[in-house]
Amino acid sequence: MGNLNYLTNIGRKMPLLEIKNAKLKLDNKDILKGLSLSVNRGEVHAIMGPNGSGKSTLSYMLAGRDGYELASGEVFLEGQSLSDMEADERARSGLFLAFQYPVELPGVGGMSFLREAVNSRRKFLGEEELDHLAFVKEARKVASKMFVKDEMLKRAVNVGFSGGEKKRFEILQMAMLKPKVSILDETDSGLDVDALKIVSDGVNAQRNDENAIVVITHYQRLLDYIVPDFVHILSDGNIIKSGGPELALEVEKNGYAGLINAA
Amino acid sequence: MLHNVKDNYIISVKDHVSQFEEKSFRKLASNDFKSWPSPREETWRLSRLGFLSRKEITPIKPNLKKQISSVSKFKGSKIIRFVDGALREDLSSKLPQGASLKILGEKDSLRCFHKFKDSNLKNHPSTNVSFSCTPSIVKLTIEKDVKIKDLFEIIYEGGDDYTSVHPALYIELKDNSIITIIERFNHLSSLIMPLQLVELKKNASINSLKIFNDNQQSYNLSANCTFLSEKSNYNSFSLIKGGLFTRSETHAYLKGENCNLNLNGVYLSCKNQHHDLTTAIYHDVPNCTSKQIVRGVLGGKSTGVFQGKVRVAPDAQKTDGQQMSRAILLSENAIANAKPELEIYADDVICAHGATVGEIDDDQLFYLKSRGISEKKAKQILIRAFLKDIINESVEESIQNYVFEEAELALSEIISKEI
Repeated sequence: MGNLNYLTNIGRKMPLLEIKNAKLKLDNKDILKGLSLSVNRGEVHAIMGPNGSGKSTLSYMLAGRDGYELASGEVFLEGQSLSDMEADERARSGLFLAFQYPVELPGVGGMSFLREAVNSRRKFLGEEELDHLAFVKEARKVASKMFVKDEMLKRAVNVGFSGGEKKRFEILQMAMLKPKVSILDETDSGLDVDALKIVSDGVNAQRNDENAIVVITHYQRLLDYIVPDFVHILSDGNIIKSGGPELALEVEKNGYAGLINAA
Repeated sequence: MLHNVKDNYIISVKDHVSQFEEKSFRKLASNDFKSWPSPREETWRLSRLGFLSRKEITPIKPNLKKQISSVSKFKGSKIIRFVDGALREDLSSKLPQGASLKILGEKDSLRCFHKFKDSNLKNHPSTNVSFSCTPSIVKLTIEKDVKIKDLFEIIYEGGDDYTSVHPALYIELKDNSIITIIERFNHLSSLIMPLQLVELKKNASINSLKIFNDNQQSYNLSANCTFLSEKSNYNSFSLIKGGLFTRSETHAYLKGENCNLNLNGVYLSCKNQHHDLTTAIYHDVPNCTSKQIVRGVLGGKSTGVFQGKVRVAPDAQKTDGQQMSRAILLSENAIANAKPELEIYADDVICAHGATVGEIDDDQLFYLKSRGISEKKAKQILIRAFLKDIINESVEESIQNYVFEEAELALSEIISKEI
């Protein structure tokens, strides 16, 4: 027993997500140039950067999209290397990506999609798969908190959804999947203030001591609602500066140019 | 040797019509059957029939006592059965009031024949051969103002090795009538050459579902000629999954203003099947709409063809014609051909078309995988959704599940091999 405790404690001290010297090329162009980042349990990190700094590449790389494999370096989720894991294995292991542009799936019903995803994760965790009724009940409960109407769950995934509905549906998925690490890629894009508040409240409700959230954003605005513990500035494929929430305000005030030049 | 064999079917057809008078429509039709279409003919370039000339086929002599094998899938539907191409009244339902079946005499048959010969189906092999060899032309009439509530199911079956089968049906919907018809082709190995003439009178509506499910040694060369009058509605969906070679060719003539046509279809092909959906839509008058969505899923060494011609006559202003075809190839050896053909002679029209052939969408696949769903499962979900989407859009709600189940039978076979 003592041994087990010892192991668990090691596990707990280990960062939830660790990126070590990540280098990635797209079309023979260096996009990530040795990026490192360590995210612990209970932390919210914001990664801010101008257009073209590599923000979306970073999120696709983490989620395991084909074509976004690292040239060198490594990524660990709770100490486990992700390099040999496909996107679906990473997701089942507890990594979640909220898409900047959620993909429309004509003909795929929202409810059955959610159920398939949740049961894939439950199966991986060794939990019993939920039957249809139990699942619908659970999904409705979570959905109502996210202001996602029943009617939306009956429609095809993201088809004909407004910008706000799409992002709400992303966060609903996050709430249902209970990931260890969530990466929110430009979750504020295309949202008006009201929608931004609903989505942020949804995210904040899921913050706890066991998980971690990485918010990738261009603007500081989102960080008024989802207040990060750490802010990192991404420029030209690397983190050039890290700090507390005040760093985001500095970006807001002086723009990226000042920071990038200073670095 | 080969040329002798090549002549055999033509001789068989001539033999078949020898018993009729010189002036009969059968003789006229048989005179025009001189050979199978050459691959040099544009509409047959992608679906070649040369192999038929190497087969020894004779027109079937309908066995009027033949046992049937297909059962109805719908409770309370009205069934019309064709076995070996011949109407079997003894195996068909009593039709509700306002609907009637009749076997046409020589004069009406001739009129029917001329409608085909005046259309661009005039040289279609089924036109010439089936008018020569059909047991009879059957006419289904729906009277004026009659709205048929019962589902009509027309089941075509029978056939035998080395025979050709020639059902011929003329459907007339009089003013303001409405009907839903499901047709199933369930033949055993044979060459099936169905003819269909559809006439929609003013404000008439038909929902038509065709399921091509002949066995995998069959050849089906279906020819449909449809005329739409003012304010009429033709909503058609074809599911092609059976046969070794199945081509469904539909020519629709929009002759009255404010009529609406949907010619949607799906082909599901595996092994060495060849499936072809060929359509021609003729906008001859202003203010009509036509829409076509065609989708295909292909595995094995199968081939899919979609040829869609839309002709908008100079006077047909305010035409709205949409055409979209998409095929997903699940195997490296499968082939999909899409040939949109737009001939637009009017200037105030909206006509759009698009055709894609490819694999499963990367973005969609990644989205599903990023939710923990395995690649295999994600592909299955996307393929099923690809079909569900068009089925839901094309057929009325009460039969959507039925169509999806029919599609699923073929789809699960393709999926189990390719994914």
